[in-house]
Amino acid sequence: MGLRYAFYTGCSAKGVAPELYNSTKLVAEKLGMELIELEAATCCGAGAVQEKDEFLALTINARNLALAEEVDADLLTICNTCTMMLRETKFKLDNDPELKEAVNEVLKEAGLEYKGTSEITHFLWEVIDGVGIDNLKAMVVRPLEEFNIAPFYGCHIIRPPYLIGYEDPDNPKSLEMVIEAVGGKPVDHEAKLACCGFHSFWSAEDKVTLKLTAMDAQSAKKEQADFMVTPCPLCHTQLDAMQEEAEQKIGVKLGIPILHLPQMIGLALGFKPKELGLDKHVISTEEIIRKVA
Amino acid sequence: METFKLKVFRYDPTKDSEPYYQTYELPVEKGMTVLAALFKAKEEQDPTISFRYNCRAAICGSCAVRINGHATLACKVQITHLLQKYDTDTITIDPIGNVKPLKDLIYDMDWLIDKLKKVKPWFIPKEPPPPDGKEYRQDPYDHHRIDFASDCILCASCMSDCNALKANKDFLGPMVHSKAYRFIADTRDGEKEGRFEAILEDLNLEWCVRCVECTTRCPKEVQPYENIIRLRIMAAEHGYKTPGEIHAEIFERDIYNRGLLNEMLLPMRQEGILGAIKRAPFGIKMMLKGKVNYADFFGGHKVKRIEEVRKIYEVAKQKEKEVKIRIPQIMGVIYEDKRRTRKRPNYAETGGNE
Repeated sequence: MGLRYAFYTGCSAKGVAPELYNSTKLVAEKLGMELIELEAATCCGAGAVQEKDEFLALTINARNLALAEEVDADLLTICNTCTMMLRETKFKLDNDPELKEAVNEVLKEAGLEYKGTSEITHFLWEVIDGVGIDNLKAMVVRPLEEFNIAPFYGCHIIRPPYLIGYEDPDNPKSLEMVIEAVGGKPVDHEAKLACCGFHSFWSAEDKVTLKLTAMDAQSAKKEQADFMVTPCPLCHTQLDAMQEEAEQKIGVKLGIPILHLPQMIGLALGFKPKELGLDKHVISTEEIIRKVA
Repeated sequence: METFKLKVFRYDPTKDSEPYYQTYELPVEKGMTVLAALFKAKEEQDPTISFRYNCRAAICGSCAVRINGHATLACKVQITHLLQKYDTDTITIDPIGNVKPLKDLIYDMDWLIDKLKKVKPWFIPKEPPPPDGKEYRQDPYDHHRIDFASDCILCASCMSDCNALKANKDFLGPMVHSKAYRFIADTRDGEKEGRFEAILEDLNLEWCVRCVECTTRCPKEVQPYENIIRLRIMAAEHGYKTPGEIHAEIFERDIYNRGLLNEMLLPMRQEGILGAIKRAPFGIKMMLKGKVNYADFFGGHKVKRIEEVRKIYEVAKQKEKEVKIRIPQIMGVIYEDKRRTRKRPNYAETGGNE
């Protein structure tokens, strides 16, 4: 068996970020990753359901994991928060036999069972561990050598380590590795590991969220990055779609483009910017499109 | 002799106009903690470095600093580990973040204490002690729910790296909310109402951005982030109808009705018709960029096997009250990723396909 994954899209890629869904499919195919889309999967709860009904959230996600087990593959996400919520579920169920039993009693009503045999992995990690950095390098046809690229990890792909644990949350390297593999120059910046503010939007839009968004965009701008790249569609929505609102907060024009991780890889693999949905961004990506043409 | 550089934040407001860094070269000694390194620099090279400390055993919470940008207790981390972890010969020590430095690594604690006072961080019994003269008793599961939260040593490492606090100093912060949880979740406590009012004033509890820095930094397994989530669950159970609670309801309904979130109708349902009007310019911007799924305005599509989801939802809802979810231990736990040990196909041989 080659690289075969149960593809969990999450809500964003099917809603507000269609360019992420499309670019992931294109790039994955090119990289030899077979994505079996879980068309019966639901929302992971995004931390919202988890704040109301912990048991319901665990059960719904146990079903999502059971769907991956049905196709006998690891579950691949393209969203940081989905990654954390699903791994939280697996962590809790695998470490608490009574809880697992209670959840399975519910799943049984629908003829399902959570066994715990599928891991939860993220597209970023599979590019590194599955495809391999050297193989990725070998497939690059349009190195992004003229670009200073600011990595923006987003919280839930590094924290908390007891749920994520892929790399050192204090000193992660994965995004930089991929940026270098596609020929780009990683730019170290203050907000590299910071939060975009997305999850407090409806309660603290002005008090917290937009301030963080502004700080993040400013941080990349300060180091003269050409664009930021993120493995998370929630960070993308916040930093791209909300950047103008954040600019208004601080009274400074920033205009820093934000790319989804598969979009950046896709450019280096020779896909056209339009195929990757670079025209579907709020912050103009014209400068990038012009340079790669 | 192998050496390393200890780069220390220096600032004396009585004579320095700006903070600066001073670097001390020290021998790498097996077992040397950051606190021991600070002592060595102070005793042998520069008696003017100021820092707080006391127990040297990760119990008193006095010596929290930022080490290469991340807060933790100086007495809990060894130099050799740090040099390896960061692959460097230089360790940078700053005072913890989000606070006002007073001198060098010493910061103003009054500001934190004033925040803490707002949630009355002490036990206020709801009834007199049992008449049999014995102490207040508690069910072991109820105690378990506050066990980890009780271990907080007020070191403020969580406050240091909190993103919400970075954006807004009026956020009470993870240490304070977590302390509020410790008492609100205590079945013997009689001051829940007052504490809820304090943490929900201006929706403060919901300013948390879920960045999980607090839990990542905490040296004592207090799980401040998880405690904030537990507080939100309890606030909802207590009848508070916050934006977070409305948000959760929308997610639940969408999972039941269609499986995935309907992002297009979210603003309207979250904030009502006035909210929808307020968000209209943003919505138009998104439409023009082709980021809008028009079908969602009419309900959109459902995930496959939605009947299965609904069945599970209904049964889980009936069952949830009887399930006692235990708080997992997380100290030193790193997620065991079985992909790492599982035999994987060799990409070069298979070309990724077979």
